[in-house]
Amino acid sequence: MTQVRFATNEQQVTTPSHFALVHYGDGEMREMVLDFLRPALEDQEQGIYLCGPPGGASRLLRFLERSADRDLGDEVTRRRIVLGQGDRDADQQLQNLLDPVHELCERGFSPVRVVGPAAWNVFGYSAPEDFLWYESRVLPGIEGLPAAIMCTYDAAQLPAPALLYGALETHSHTMINGVISVSASFMPADRYLKTRLIHLPWLEPEEEKDEVISASEDGPERGPRNRTR
Amino acid sequence: MTSVEASRPALDTRRGGIAVLNPDGNVTWTDEAWGADDEETGLPRVPLGGNLLHAYRGSPDPRAQAIANAIAAVFEGKVTYLEIEHRSDRESETSFLTSVAALRGDGIGAVLIHKVIGEATPDRARRASDMRGANGGAPTGAGVERLTPREREVLDLMAGGLDNRAIAAKLGIQYTTVRGHVRSVVEKLGARSRLEAVARAYQMGLAPS
Repeated sequence: MTQVRFATNEQQVTTPSHFALVHYGDGEMREMVLDFLRPALEDQEQGIYLCGPPGGASRLLRFLERSADRDLGDEVTRRRIVLGQGDRDADQQLQNLLDPVHELCERGFSPVRVVGPAAWNVFGYSAPEDFLWYESRVLPGIEGLPAAIMCTYDAAQLPAPALLYGALETHSHTMINGVISVSASFMPADRYLKTRLIHLPWLEPEEEKDEVISASEDGPERGPRNRTR
Repeated sequence: MTSVEASRPALDTRRGGIAVLNPDGNVTWTDEAWGADDEETGLPRVPLGGNLLHAYRGSPDPRAQAIANAIAAVFEGKVTYLEIEHRSDRESETSFLTSVAALRGDGIGAVLIHKVIGEATPDRARRASDMRGANGGAPTGAGVERLTPREREVLDLMAGGLDNRAIAAKLGIQYTTVRGHVRSVVEKLGARSRLEAVARAYQMGLAPS
């Protein structure tokens, strides 16, 4: 187990860690991401993996370069900083996430810090339930590794409340308003699949929907959208 | 601090109900059916649950303490699903995440309503049972009969939560082959996603509950 500290406060997480940053807008997200990644920018023994929707990792890198006031190109070339991308297939996306994390850990970087902003409206990508399944498989996939993965959920953009539930239930910790806390809703992947995921409102047969869904969640403007990381 | 348990004697957790947080901080539970939008504000009743317990407990506001009690009821297994609705002071706050906004110190509504849904497990179990075939309980869901034996194996493992790489290792076949099987399973079951296929498998009794 490795302690992963943040830059500006006393908070830390213990690896392996998979936590959800619930934020409002890009400004807060960038502030929190920088707080999480800055210690790694200053420590060549740590690894960084940036992923996300198409173009997302590059944008994050540019932001980090501006914030650190230096060119990170060499570190990308040396693959201390790795840029990745989600995939329209949730399973492939899981591999896209786990493979570089394993690679960085095997090359001795410790801890490995990962940031993956989520986007929910990428045309042609898998349905949101598949990506919630993906989220549930992340922690088992990094078992025993000195890796901390921050998934960012823009609360202002989530198209369906169930996706926020998913964030709370698939991440062992959450970061809300800058405070890391244990997610009391967290469920191990198998339990999450059987008790929550397959009962998502839009997966229920029509006659059963009123058991688990409010009108607001079922409405056309709040329905599920595609999402990628 | 108000006790949720003491103030919810008539709540049928299987039907669900609504708990109204009164201005004095007490929670009154009712057995109302689901509603759509709030009549007065027009805002949608929207759910938010999860690990806000600690944040609410940390607030000196008695209303937040009452919310904490309601959330605690979820964690204690009395109910399984919790909704929080805020009647926000700010008209612009139509997001279902006004609860989070409140946590952030952006203001808390004068009245909060919790909606709670209880266990639906017995109904789901019955539904799964009903959907089994008449021939000794064999599954007969649409599309299932078109699955090959290998695809059935893959579906079983998908229902166990395994990813494609793990399925490939388990079956001793190539990753790309598994991808093909998964795609075929999803297609044959008429599902739009991997998880919808898994959900179908459970609904049809193909997977252990």
